[in-house]
Amino acid sequence: MNKRKHADLSVDFLGFKCENPFMLSSSPVAANYEMCSKFLEAGGGGVVFKTIGTYIPDECSPRFDHVRKEGQPFLGFKNMEQISDHPYEENMHFLRQLKKDYPTKCLIVSIMGSNEEDWTKLAKDVTEAGADIIECNFSCPQMTQENMGSDVGANIELIEKFTKATLAGTDVPIMLKMTPNIELMEVPATAAIKAGGHAIAAINTIKAITHIDLDQMTALPVVNGKSSVSGYSGAAAKPIALRFIANMKQDPFLKDIPISGIGGIETWEDCAEFISLGCTNLQFTTSVMQYGFRVVEDMISGLSIWMEEKGYKSIDDFCGKALNNIVPAEDLERDFKVYPKIDYDKCVGCGRCYISCFDGAHQAITWDAENRKVEIDEDKCVGCQLCLHVCPVADCITPGKVVFKPEDQFGLGSEAKYVEGGPNKRDIIVGQYDE
Amino acid sequence: MSENAKKDYLCEAVPPFTIATAMEEASRCLLCLDAPCSQDCPAGTNPGDFIRAIRFRNFKGAAEIIRTNNVLGGICARVCPYEVLCEEACSRTGIDKPIQIGRLQRFATDYEKASGFEPLEKVEATKEKVAMIGSGPASLTCGAELAQKGYAVTIFEEKAIPGGVLSYGVVPARLPQYIVDEEIELVKSLGVDIVCNTKIGKDKSIEDLKNDGYKAFFIGAGIQAPKMLNIPGTDLDGVTNAVEYLGSAKPSNGKIEPGSKVVVIGGGDVAMDCATTSRQIGSEKTMILYRRTREEAPAHKIEMSYVEELGVHMHYGFTPEEIVGKDGKVVAIKGKGFRDDSMIQLECDKVIFAIGQQPDDSVKSIADIKFSPKNTIVADEEEDCKTDVPYIFAGGDIVNGGKTVVQAVAVGKTAAESIEAYLSKEAK
Ligand SMILES: Cc1cc2nc3c(=O)[nH]c(=O)nc-3n(C[C@H](O)[C@H](O)[C@H](O)COP(=O)(O)OP(=O)(O)OC[C@H]3O[C@@H](n4cnc5c(N)ncnc54)[C@H](O)[C@@H]3O)c2cc1C
Ligand SMILES: Cc1cc2nc3c(=O)[nH]c(=O)nc-3n(C[C@H](O)[C@H](O)[C@H](O)COP(=O)(O)O)c2cc1C
Ligand code: SF4
Ligand code: SF4
Ligand code: SF4
Repeated sequence: MNKRKHADLSVDFLGFKCENPFMLSSSPVAANYEMCSKFLEAGGGGVVFKTIGTYIPDECSPRFDHVRKEGQPFLGFKNMEQISDHPYEENMHFLRQLKKDYPTKCLIVSIMGSNEEDWTKLAKDVTEAGADIIECNFSCPQMTQENMGSDVGANIELIEKFTKATLAGTDVPIMLKMTPNIELMEVPATAAIKAGGHAIAAINTIKAITHIDLDQMTALPVVNGKSSVSGYSGAAAKPIALRFIANMKQDPFLKDIPISGIGGIETWEDCAEFISLGCTNLQFTTSVMQYGFRVVEDMISGLSIWMEEKGYKSIDDFCGKALNNIVPAEDLERDFKVYPKIDYDKCVGCGRCYISCFDGAHQAITWDAENRKVEIDEDKCVGCQLCLHVCPVADCITPGKVVFKPEDQFGLGSEAKYVEGGPNKRDIIVGQYDE
Repeated sequence: MSENAKKDYLCEAVPPFTIATAMEEASRCLLCLDAPCSQDCPAGTNPGDFIRAIRFRNFKGAAEIIRTNNVLGGICARVCPYEVLCEEACSRTGIDKPIQIGRLQRFATDYEKASGFEPLEKVEATKEKVAMIGSGPASLTCGAELAQKGYAVTIFEEKAIPGGVLSYGVVPARLPQYIVDEEIELVKSLGVDIVCNTKIGKDKSIEDLKNDGYKAFFIGAGIQAPKMLNIPGTDLDGVTNAVEYLGSAKPSNGKIEPGSKVVVIGGGDVAMDCATTSRQIGSEKTMILYRRTREEAPAHKIEMSYVEELGVHMHYGFTPEEIVGKDGKVVAIKGKGFRDDSMIQLECDKVIFAIGQQPDDSVKSIADIKFSPKNTIVADEEEDCKTDVPYIFAGGDIVNGGKTVVQAVAVGKTAAESIEAYLSKEAK
């Protein structure tokens, strides 16, 4: 059968024409030839090879933990790994082989040194081995040595020094991978670009403690009775990544600097979100650790079908399109409220909206215990829509009537133009019982 | 399937998933390596992949996976005996219970419709003309596959509405007619022509079609003739059969004379469908007469319980002996013990034979090819659907003696491959 043709996903990243923006991020998922090759065969546009350093780290065991909520596993993932544990020469061999066998795929190589000589040597060697782009890892939060990892990402002086040292060893574009363990990423990113870097990769993992083992009284994972603060990734990281990226893309100095988006990417919708904030390259690890390289198949299919239907001919057509609509809180229009609307045909009478509105909002829902019927009291309702978020039935509570507040204190009427659309807009109700 | 059954004739028994409930179900899926569910779908619909697509919110991609593998995916989602196919193979059973694969498949194809997504691209017909005889699932699939390969396909159907058993056999509670109509429209939109009211072997012959330029033929004539018992009284007014009863109820939305006291003969799913239908469209009392025990009845037990819930009286262990008439009309049926000497007499005004179908002699007039003693066409439908005449292919119920819709879909795919191979060789 003939699938309909879908939109082209190819995109230019730092001068490299990638067939699509989907790449493994630097981590154990891209640690050797076989893994990278399997991912590229599954359709990936390229890989960011696991961070190569000048020494082999000594890893702990166990080294992972994950966070669940109710039944869902892997909301967030914690790891205590460091950089590549393959011998240097073996890594160079993997890189040469990858470039030879997959010349059209984008080979990005992550490196990390502890001093300027290291950075220059690493850059030189991986360039010779075939790297199309170098990613400087300024951001691993669990390095055991000084002046490495996220220590660098939070230190302007080191960023400048190591960026320059890297440039001294290579003629390929370089991208700086940032740590989220700071307040403003614009600052180190600007320093890195001013020092000669070409692009930003964000984010690396977030310093975290996922759980405490209440018997052993230490964090998870427990390494012989002890544990450490270390990097958190996966779905929980996405909102944090998106905000750093939006901030950088809205920064007057950084706005045209290419960004590779990382953090919790699992579905094509995640990809579309990062692109809408201006990313032209996308990397992921945790989703692959949970599900395997095949996640890329649905990214390719889902994104290209969606773009086709939206009429986007290329990634550039919607890249950064959401940026203008993300404004400072003080610029939001505040002169109307949107009441929730309850669809009583769908309501199952659970009363969750009542509970949340009473205990967590404005006591604006009434409860008829006899009939298990909820009703919104428009005099009290502030339109926060907490009820809509907690209702367990799809599309039962939706954004309803828009009401403009009375004239403001200066006696001015509203000039707001309300744009239709609510949080459930992408979800079309399907299925029917009968005709 | 009747877990949540409703008692209304036209009401689809199993409610659809919403996005939220589909996501919940897809999240239960283990996303297995070499997914066993995919391996056990006869038509290769690939549930392992489409459930994964749903899990990653690629709903349209899921529909695309289904349609590219099984053009009648929305129909199969409703009528397949998945509990003995994909769901039986499901690894999740090792934890609790299988993934509801059929319902997820239905979700994806419903989503496709609700969003107006069209996964398949029509291919210009530049190759030879090919005719399908019969418009059941075997021919619809074979026709769609061939049209997608660039052949000019026409389906000839003797009845006034296309679809075969889908349109006149499967009860609306399992398969509403609008779903059948929509999927037939989909097949047509791929370039397949459907000509109804044309019986091949009577209104037109294969020779005529050859003169019209058809280069290859697929016979998917199904089996329509009811099996009857050779007992006195079968010619009485009020005696009918499953195909006739269900087949007149469905197109008229249940507006037929249900019978007030109905006896259904048989113990298979079709017998249960007849009993359910008669109750839903207004019989006063419905009884089932089956010669073996409840345990031995081939019908799904869940269907039998549903029939029992509807108040149908089950009489096990009796074989019909005589239908008693008065003024040419049925008034009772007599039965005797199948394994003992018991006797039974049930008052009734309608008797429905639901003991299976068989090909009638008229199939032999379709083409001069080899038939088995049971009047089925001799062909290897698992392999290539070839008959003993090189340009004639056959599959589905008319070859296998009566299996399932998904088997007919599988065969339609095999036949299309085989016809393509034949025509490409001829063209050289
Ligand atoms: C009452 C009933 C309920 C069933 N329920 C289910 C179910 O729930 N799930 C399931 O999987 N299976 C079910 N089955 C079985 C399933 O329907 C069949 O296996 C399947 O339809 C076979 O498809 P087919 O294409 O071979 O033939 P059919 O569906 O029988 O279609 C054959 C078509 O060919 C036409 N035809 C015959 N001769 C000629 C001719 N000479 N010229 C032109 N046209 C001709 C016929 O009119 C008919 O429309 C059921 C069967 C019956 C009878
Ligand atoms: C086990 C593990 C090891 C990682 N190793 C590296 C590394 O060597 N170099 C690096 O730049 N980032 C490393 N990361 C961070 C990821 O590349 C990525 O930035 C982060 O996990 C967020 O993306 P995700 O949510 O898709 O996993 C690692 C992450 C994990 C989970
Ligand atoms: S919108 Fe907020 S205030 Fe209004 S009913 Fe819902 S939870 Fe209560
Ligand atoms: S939460 Fe939703 S389903 Fe429950 S009572 Fe409120 S509106 Fe009804
Ligand atoms: S066998 Fe069951 S659990 Fe495994 S992929 Fe198929 S549906 Fe999912």
